[in-house]
Amino acid sequence: MALDNKILDEINELKRKYEDERSCLLPALYLFQREYGWLSPEALERVAEILNIPKATVKGVSTFYAMFSHKPMGRHLIQLCTNVACMIMGGERLLDILKGRYGLEPNLTTPDRRFSLVIMECIGACDTAPAMLVDTDLHGNLTEENIIGILERYE
Amino acid sequence: MITITIDGKKISFERPVTILDAARAAGIHIPTLCHHDILKPYGGCRLCLVEVEKVPKLQTACSQYVSDGMVVRTETEKVVDARRAVLEFLLINHPLDCPHCDKAGECELQDLAAKYGPAMGRFAEGKRRYPENLEDPLIVRNRERCILCLRCVRMCDDVQGASALSVTGRGSKSYIEPFSGGAYDCEYCGNCLAVCPVGAITSRTHRHGFRPWLMEKEVETVCSYCGVGCSLVLQVRNNSVVRSVPRSGLGLNRGLLCSKGRFGYDCLNYGDRLDAPLMRRNGVLERVTWTEAINCIADRMKEIKRENGSDAIAGIVSGRCTNEDAYVFQKFFRGAIGTNNIDSVAGMAYGPAQRFFEKILVQGVTANPIQGISDSDGIFVIGGDPTAINPVLGLQVRSASKKGVPVIVVGHPGGLKRYSKRAFIMNSAAETVFLAALVDEIKRRRPLPGERPVLEEIINGFRPAPLEDASKMSGFGPNDLVDTAHALSNMSRPSIIIGRDIVQTDTGHMNLLFLAALTYLLNGRIYLLSELPNEQGVLDMGCQPDMLPSGRPLTVETFRKRCEETLGIIIPPAPGLSYAEMTEAAHEGRIKALYVMGEDMVLGLPDSNYVRGALRNIEFLVVQDRFFTETAKYADVVLPALSWAEKEGSYTNLERRIQLTRKAVEGESIEEWKVISEISKTFGLHMGYRSAADIFSEIARVSQIYRELTLEGIADGKSVWPYRGGPLRYDMHTEGTKLPDIVSVMEESGMSGVHVRREAHLFHSQNASRYSPALLSITPEPHLKIGDILADRLSVKDGDRVKVSTDAGSIVLSARRDPCLPDNVVLASTFDGGGIFEITKWRVNPITKAPASDVNGVVIDKEEAITVLHKDRADSLVGG
Amino acid sequence: MNSRESVLLKNADRPGPAGIDEYGEWGGYRSLHKALSMEPGQVLDEVKKSGLRGRGGAGFPTGMKWSFAVADPQTQKYLLCNADEGEPGTFKDRIIIEKNPHLLIEGMVISAYAVGAASGYIYLRGEYPKAKDILLRAIKEAYEKNYLGDSILGKGVVFHLHIHCGAGAYICGEETALIESLEGKRGQPRIKPPFPVNEGFSSKPTVVNNVETLANIPYILEIGGDEYAKIGSPECPGLKLFSVSGHVKRPGVYELPMGVTLREIIYTHCGGIRGDRKLKGVIPGGVSTPVLLPDTIDCPMDFFHLGKVGSMLGSGAVIVFDETVDMVKVCLRITKFFEHESCGKCTPCREGVSWLRAVLERMSNGSGRGGDKDLLTEVSNNIAGKTFCPLGENAAAAVQSFVNNFGDEFKEKIKSG
Repeated sequence: MALDNKILDEINELKRKYEDERSCLLPALYLFQREYGWLSPEALERVAEILNIPKATVKGVSTFYAMFSHKPMGRHLIQLCTNVACMIMGGERLLDILKGRYGLEPNLTTPDRRFSLVIMECIGACDTAPAMLVDTDLHGNLTEENIIGILERYE
Repeated sequence: MITITIDGKKISFERPVTILDAARAAGIHIPTLCHHDILKPYGGCRLCLVEVEKVPKLQTACSQYVSDGMVVRTETEKVVDARRAVLEFLLINHPLDCPHCDKAGECELQDLAAKYGPAMGRFAEGKRRYPENLEDPLIVRNRERCILCLRCVRMCDDVQGASALSVTGRGSKSYIEPFSGGAYDCEYCGNCLAVCPVGAITSRTHRHGFRPWLMEKEVETVCSYCGVGCSLVLQVRNNSVVRSVPRSGLGLNRGLLCSKGRFGYDCLNYGDRLDAPLMRRNGVLERVTWTEAINCIADRMKEIKRENGSDAIAGIVSGRCTNEDAYVFQKFFRGAIGTNNIDSVAGMAYGPAQRFFEKILVQGVTANPIQGISDSDGIFVIGGDPTAINPVLGLQVRSASKKGVPVIVVGHPGGLKRYSKRAFIMNSAAETVFLAALVDEIKRRRPLPGERPVLEEIINGFRPAPLEDASKMSGFGPNDLVDTAHALSNMSRPSIIIGRDIVQTDTGHMNLLFLAALTYLLNGRIYLLSELPNEQGVLDMGCQPDMLPSGRPLTVETFRKRCEETLGIIIPPAPGLSYAEMTEAAHEGRIKALYVMGEDMVLGLPDSNYVRGALRNIEFLVVQDRFFTETAKYADVVLPALSWAEKEGSYTNLERRIQLTRKAVEGESIEEWKVISEISKTFGLHMGYRSAADIFSEIARVSQIYRELTLEGIADGKSVWPYRGGPLRYDMHTEGTKLPDIVSVMEESGMSGVHVRREAHLFHSQNASRYSPALLSITPEPHLKIGDILADRLSVKDGDRVKVSTDAGSIVLSARRDPCLPDNVVLASTFDGGGIFEITKWRVNPITKAPASDVNGVVIDKEEAITVLHKDRADSLVGG
Repeated sequence: MNSRESVLLKNADRPGPAGIDEYGEWGGYRSLHKALSMEPGQVLDEVKKSGLRGRGGAGFPTGMKWSFAVADPQTQKYLLCNADEGEPGTFKDRIIIEKNPHLLIEGMVISAYAVGAASGYIYLRGEYPKAKDILLRAIKEAYEKNYLGDSILGKGVVFHLHIHCGAGAYICGEETALIESLEGKRGQPRIKPPFPVNEGFSSKPTVVNNVETLANIPYILEIGGDEYAKIGSPECPGLKLFSVSGHVKRPGVYELPMGVTLREIIYTHCGGIRGDRKLKGVIPGGVSTPVLLPDTIDCPMDFFHLGKVGSMLGSGAVIVFDETVDMVKVCLRITKFFEHESCGKCTPCREGVSWLRAVLERMSNGSGRGGDKDLLTEVSNNIAGKTFCPLGENAAAAVQSFVNNFGDEFKEKIKSG
């Protein structure tokens, strides 16, 4: 895997933050996910090698956390909350809209790789429920009417 | 003092213990699943919940420590209800497939379900279903049966330190798997399957092969693979070993085994065992009777003795022979043949190293308890990877490292990669220069103790290479060297672990001298890695060209005479030839008859073609072995031998602990010592032993080291050096310990180009593992490890076939990239004939008498055609 | 809102975060100056006197937690800020970080000084990417102004602060799981003892405090512990943030004194139920706390009183349900959440919660079976009291509360199937 020196530099920078290099694991996984969109087995092995952590351990850790993706994702990640507050405010109905408009279902990616959808457990935007994160942007007060307009801004 | 009450019983403890241990001490059983004595408390299964007075919630007995005045109840209604609840949870998704589960009969979940009643079957949701994973050649994973107690993962992480298993996913969707999700990329210690309480991880070697309750007997014995001497239990049915298992708390391995100990037992059942003597007639080996074979051996040996003299005959024993076989063998050679030409594979490194250290330090200096490694305050490893050569000893190094003890490795770190602070890989001449520089740096930092003037003279007098030159030659910066010396100087009781590769070079004697100096300066404890179970024992038995079975040098007349009197034989006064020297002599036609017991010389020595030539030159070759080895192909008489599981005897391990090996099954042959006694009889030397115990008692009479011991007495495995007395005193020799000339090493070494170093293989061990289908299934062929820079230069990927050539010939090996390696060193394994020994020349080191086999200037080429095939496969895998 | 000026929510109604200068204009970092002019022990005493309890959910007295860490003889100590705000319904910590990050930083520096920690980490949940950027900028500002670094305010006090992002694991809000996660491991809770205050991050004494807890510290220093203790409930005094969501007219975060009643929150501060419908139930402290019926909403909201009506204050996340809500569906959604977030370490939580979800799922689909309501009760009873950490415990308690309070609705699901 071609690894730009940028990630390596960032990981070396990270090492200074912690007493033990093992603490760099989550941040390092984030860096690889940021760069490649997901964590392939090769990426996990590379992280293992850089941080001198057994590769099985790296896999065990990365699969524990819901925000690490172990399959290729689309260009934009829709993280839709359906927890209680969002659910009672109509969050689940938005799923039908996404399916109707993009054929998109939870844990899947559109064939054009534009969007991937994951269901989130509370994203801490309950006052503007229902809400979603698209990549790192928070969108609240979603309705069946406005959600497509928001998503269409993401190419 | 802590006093607690458990189920009404009062019991006191000096130190806080867990409630579980307290209950055990009080004779109260608390059910557990995730708990295992080898592992740290986990508290996950929740089966061991108990009531503690004044604590509202039930507490886990496995993790909760007792405090004074605590009142615990382990069988209240609340507790029993909780256990039932937990068991029900464990069973709702369990497939309940006991009828075809290999674990049935020894399954902890099955036992608990029987005790606490079956689940009521109110789970109506459909169990989780997953297919059994059979992708691995040795280990089967069954996710449906897994109860996620994580014993396996904890074992692999915390005890074995291999960390090859982990939990994937989270919560009810989590499961245990190796990185690949299929086959393991691990050390195959199998300790995961040993601790699995259910049938989630099982061994393929006896899949659906037997039921635990059908086992006929269990025999406690000692492993015959390496010099650690782990205790294990052989389980027997129909006169066949069906499984080897460790027993928790038993022996120095305390319930752990390595790949060879756990899976390698299947060589016992290898189909092509020799079962009758063979004799060459008209160029063909034919089955003959024992009498014919013995008469033939007697006649030919007498004839050669008559015509060429006793010293035209030589004997080689294997490091797998028992003490008793080895003892009788040397007695026959000395007493009946009249020669000291006796040696073993121990004479190629282990023996010379030990001899060297004993000479300039003290006898018994290498007899240190393996368990002590984890208590040392620093570890220096050189000449071999302990986690591959002596895996259970290697675990001690890892355990020390986990406690923060610095581990410094000269050589490839192998299984210590994540456990060593620094690893210095270089060629063999550079290692000598590097060691010299280290000693020089350390002596500036640590005062000389003043106890050994001769050694101190050498330490003070030798002229090391300038630091810059040493660093340039080794490929490491001067600061690396100085920092390492500094780290070593800070150690007050380090373990110094030494493998054979440091001995088998032209500068082997110098390496030993510097290591002795290092040990002396740092107050170190030496551990000599030993690749065979009884290298120490065969040395102790006098299977050495210059040592008596009494543990004394035969050149000293008083010792020799005393030995002669005790045994009633005459011992020639001149030392004989070493293993390497015998091979040379055979090649040159000076050795006419050779008796090889249990050793496959073609595998055991470098430069296989040279060895084949030597064997071809021998007029009369006797090979006594379990299998028809390559060496046996050249034999005139082949005698079938018994395996270690088919006879009684003793092994002495690398820490010089003497242990009993017990007979587990009946073999189709005769004990080696009996056969030799019969041959001996024809020479007029009557031995008259009726049992191994008889032989042992003679050993105890003649040997100053083994004195007063009995075979029965050593059965507890606690016979450790110096047994019943202090070390022997004999003159300290300083022969070979003269001032080494490092500058000439640098000038003469001519170490340019790529250097091949031997890689001792974790899954293989000389001529036993090649008869183990299980071990061969893990790694069926030798390979070449190659660094990234060199591999990139040659465009070599993992799995590519590469041709490795020296002036002795070429071999083709499968390549594995290894980021640890520099661009001027490659590693090659040696097992099963085709390895690097095929192309490794050697010469006898005049001081150690060991073969020196430095291989440099190696040419490596990629085999293009095969690579393309492989590439296609790799691409299709990636694409799929 | 009472007459007091907002403390924790200062700047909350403005669009962006307060920069360090703005924060300074409001008197920010004055408490830090004050603290550094005192002995660490005196700062600790003020916090003890304030009666402040941890705002993350468990309500452990903050001063006491600190004093355990102070008492540990090891010199290297850590302060961790738990910003893994994962309790569904909770969004108060995000508001503090996004609107007034220096309040948290100031609170952390003072706290670190009191407990003797030279470095600290903010464990920020991965779902808050914006908060991360804001905090990074604020930390940079604080370093530039010498509020962080090797000699804070030139007084030789050392404190270095870093951000560490979680990656979607609710369990990491549990302090030992948080530490495991910070150490690069699977975020599973540890056996206690040893407690983090003695053996936490990197085996060193470690204080883990919630964002809101730490954000209260500057104010306690400002007005003094005694004065702070006079706010709200005498049993557990102080300011509390309530995240209100669901069917109220004005959802949002409210800064109120401890002990305010649910009724006041819903009807006074949040303007009542949307559409003026009837209140059906309310979860007072995030989905980990048992649901309450309308007849208990006069209960004061604090750690003490809510326990008396069978629930808990939790994180103070109030989720309001009007009469239209299908409570079986809510219960299912909560159980799904716990199933998804169960770390899998202990049997009852891993297996039991998943079983509960399966039963609730079929009931919700209208295919409930006779006895399912009792089965829910029995299975949750079998989980309760046997789990490794509170997650499974809370999952069981949540289901029990729904079944007990809305039993008829559960019965209907069986009838209809």
